[in-house]
Amino acid sequence: MASESKKWLKFKIVTILTVFLVLFIALISRAFQLQVLSGQKLKTLATRQHTSVLQLQPERGVIYDRNGEKLAVSIMANSVCADPSKIADPVKTSRQIAEILNLDNQTVLKKLSTQKNFSWLVRRISPEQAALVESAEIEGIFLVKEPKRFYPNGELAAHLLGFVGLDANGLEGLESKYDESLKGKPEKLSWARDAKGKKLFLRVEKNETRKDENINLVLTIDNRIQYLVETHLREAVLDKGAKGGLAIVMDPKTGEILAMANQLGFNPNNVDGLKPDRWRNHAIADYYDPGSTFKPFLVAGALEEKIVKESDRFFCENGNYKVANRVIHEANRKRHGTLTVQEILKYSSNIGSAKIAQKMGKEKFYNYIQNFGFGSKTGIDLPGESAGALRPVKNWVPVDTAMIAFGQGVSVTAIQLISAVSAIANNGVLMKPYVVRGIADKDNHLVKLYTPTVVRKVISPDTARRLTGMLTEVVGAEDGTGKNAKIVNVSVAGKTGTSQKFDSARGVYSSEKVRTSFMGFFPAENPQVAILVILDEPQKDKWGGVASAPVFKKIAEQILNCFKTNIRETPVFEKEKTDKVQLVSAQQTLTPPNIAEYDESTMPDFSGLTIREALKKAKAESIELKISGNGWAVRQYPPAHTPLGDERLCSVAFELNN
Amino acid sequence: MIFLKFDRRIFHYFDWVLLSFVLVICAMGVLNIYSTGFSAAEGQIPLYLKQIQWIVLGLIFMMIIFFIDYRVIVQYAYIIYGVLIALLILVHIIGYAAHGSQRWLGGGFFAFQPSELMKVVIIITLAHYFDNHKSNESYKLKELLVPLLIVLVPFVLILKQPDLGTALMLIVIFVSIVFFMGVDKKSLLAALISGLILIPTGWHFLKDYQRERLITFLDPENDPLGAGYHIIQSMIAIGSGEIFGKGFLSGSQTQLKFLPEQQTDFVFSVFAEEWGFAGGLVLIILFMVIILWGLKIALQARDLLGTITAFGVTAFISWEVFINIGMVLGILPVVGIPLPFFSYGGSAMLSLMVAIGLLINVSARRFILQR
Repeated sequence: MASESKKWLKFKIVTILTVFLVLFIALISRAFQLQVLSGQKLKTLATRQHTSVLQLQPERGVIYDRNGEKLAVSIMANSVCADPSKIADPVKTSRQIAEILNLDNQTVLKKLSTQKNFSWLVRRISPEQAALVESAEIEGIFLVKEPKRFYPNGELAAHLLGFVGLDANGLEGLESKYDESLKGKPEKLSWARDAKGKKLFLRVEKNETRKDENINLVLTIDNRIQYLVETHLREAVLDKGAKGGLAIVMDPKTGEILAMANQLGFNPNNVDGLKPDRWRNHAIADYYDPGSTFKPFLVAGALEEKIVKESDRFFCENGNYKVANRVIHEANRKRHGTLTVQEILKYSSNIGSAKIAQKMGKEKFYNYIQNFGFGSKTGIDLPGESAGALRPVKNWVPVDTAMIAFGQGVSVTAIQLISAVSAIANNGVLMKPYVVRGIADKDNHLVKLYTPTVVRKVISPDTARRLTGMLTEVVGAEDGTGKNAKIVNVSVAGKTGTSQKFDSARGVYSSEKVRTSFMGFFPAENPQVAILVILDEPQKDKWGGVASAPVFKKIAEQILNCFKTNIRETPVFEKEKTDKVQLVSAQQTLTPPNIAEYDESTMPDFSGLTIREALKKAKAESIELKISGNGWAVRQYPPAHTPLGDERLCSVAFELNN
Repeated sequence: MIFLKFDRRIFHYFDWVLLSFVLVICAMGVLNIYSTGFSAAEGQIPLYLKQIQWIVLGLIFMMIIFFIDYRVIVQYAYIIYGVLIALLILVHIIGYAAHGSQRWLGGGFFAFQPSELMKVVIIITLAHYFDNHKSNESYKLKELLVPLLIVLVPFVLILKQPDLGTALMLIVIFVSIVFFMGVDKKSLLAALISGLILIPTGWHFLKDYQRERLITFLDPENDPLGAGYHIIQSMIAIGSGEIFGKGFLSGSQTQLKFLPEQQTDFVFSVFAEEWGFAGGLVLIILFMVIILWGLKIALQARDLLGTITAFGVTAFISWEVFINIGMVLGILPVVGIPLPFFSYGGSAMLSLMVAIGLLINVSARRFILQR
């Protein structure tokens, strides 16, 4: 070939090479654009296309009282779900499912006709229904285990515990406050589906449960005290025709809440149709004018500041004391002449208290109110606490000082009140109230123990002791306002209170609608228990000394009966194997959502028995038998050791072989 | 004696580099096909094993082609062409169809697509023609009528199967060779004008699915679950591979069968999903090396016939690589062109091996003197 044409050829080859080089660089650029620049976006798109994730909650942590009694347990129950993409004939399948589960055919059909590949049909069905669903073996219908919360004691401590919602989220109370811990890490159920939605690889990503996850709570609550407090409170509310009531029992030396009760109660196992007010924990969320129960805190400050002594006398103006343009009266229009400080507390004189406050001065008084914890949250480990209402002292007019002295014009919560009175009982040291004593891991090893927290020293031990002495007179003296709380052989320190509710319609304090309260502690010489009882709008006995003091007395007496020994030496929380917990819970029948009583008896084991023997055994447990076949028992449903529910029915199959 | 000496020398000039690159790509292709079949149903012979069989068979064909001097082969080009045309006609009579297209002859393992082989045969046929009609001037339209006819007959036959991709490939090869040989400017203008007139006519000839594909290319989001599905899924698969890919056998879009045609037209998507941009880049560079090598052979060929043949083969492989990757990346319409040495397919593999046989044939004989 000629060299010239060779050159021409070379030029052509290089040109062509350049063209292809450009084309291939275009390819690489495009790949770069797709994979590097928008790779992330396309990856998300890909993931969304082939997976859907369902989060399954593990068994929820148990809530124990301070003695290891279960207050809230978890039961794994079956829920029915569907993968509509796998269902060839939705009409037929929905009819089938609706029949088994007693559901509305149309609702099911609607759920099965969606484009999604996951749909809940029914949540948490009974084991019997689950067995039926399982045996039906319908393509695209399957069962998933979900935890169901169960409160074995029904209404007990319901306001404190709260409850959980459909997706096992804590919605109120401790269930809400400690939701993340109780809930544990959910299991992720990823569904990988192929392009036709046909193949379905089920991949369960089990989260490794670490020891400190999915924890159990141990409360400071003593379920025995809680029970008797609730019982007496309920009785009193019914007896006095009150709208409601609340009671708190506290260990004044530690701040531990031993019981916290609200009336009216509710059953956390079934909160359907209840208004939020019903499950509101009034003991921490509501604030109101404390009335006369506020007087001890005034006197405490005055004593501490050496403004008054017990024996100092105040002229009580015969029941008519004009402050600025307001006239202050005594309760029940009583007329007192000259009273000592001690008598002012004993007879609960409003005018006497006002005079002490005036003598003390509003700044000092205000400081003590604040130091006793009023006007700020106590920090109790419960959700929804309120701080009450305490106006800044610079806004007080002279009549405010006088009225706040006897508990009007200031608003406090019940938990603030019991904490403050506990401070008097605890040598003047204010403790932070708390309800969770410790946190245990899955195997019930205590991983965290909450110790008592000192908030501040409010008054000196000497002042506390002197004040306690005066409060003991309130209960102990024959003419004391709190005499109805007197207990034989035990010195009780306490104070009554009656506060008129503010009638917003009329713009005045109502004398008809009142809150009666009694707070106190015992034994006065070494206080171990502080109790606050409040009744809301009692229809009869509208005075704290008459309405609430007897409730205090009944609770106190029973606590004393139960705990002859030192109350703080409660049994050490015993370790309990979790499998024991599960044995009770896992197979518990769920049909009645509000099981009032917790039946401990279980289904007997019939296997190997003859029909006659089985019938005899069943009769002893008052269980009805459904017999099939003859010979010896080989199978039974429910299986042996299943806790007995309301339905005492067992199907037993008998066979002749062997 | 002469024969032996001759033999030794072609072995001495045997193009091991080219063969090595081809085999590396083939091996990557086999692994990739293995991945696509990883989650497939059991029972049948896995595709990757079949592909290995095709590669081995292809290598045998390649060696046969290599041993016969390309000038001898090209002398029989018209006859071979004639046989292929006959086979293409036969496909229409007794061939069997798959995927709505009648492309195959025979059955089972011996199923064969003459149209694939036609791509190579057209190269030697055109090489033969232009070698016989050497010209120092550019070719005029009149002189190009015969080669045009040579291409149009199989083009129509293949388009009628219907197999748009292969048919277009013949045109692409033809145009490449004609441009390489040089075209008179006036003739080029005339060809362009007639081409513009032909396009609407051609549109009329297209099957519905072919029109759909072209519309889809212009606007894939138009019908994401229908015709646009392929290309969108391909782009998702490739893009989700990101820089370093999801790993061998771990491409979710591949394994869960979101990606269509993953052993044939969309193999590159599989590879790019599992090996990422890095893997795709390596593969494209490997192809570029082959193209560079092929053009080098064309340049160094002993005679014009060798140059045209080597160029034709190189152009054929280059365009297939570009069009295939371009279409799975969404920058070219989906026309059903496999990725050379990578896509599963017996006829395509055999044809490509024959083409490589021609390349190394030209390469090895570049220093051997004429008789």
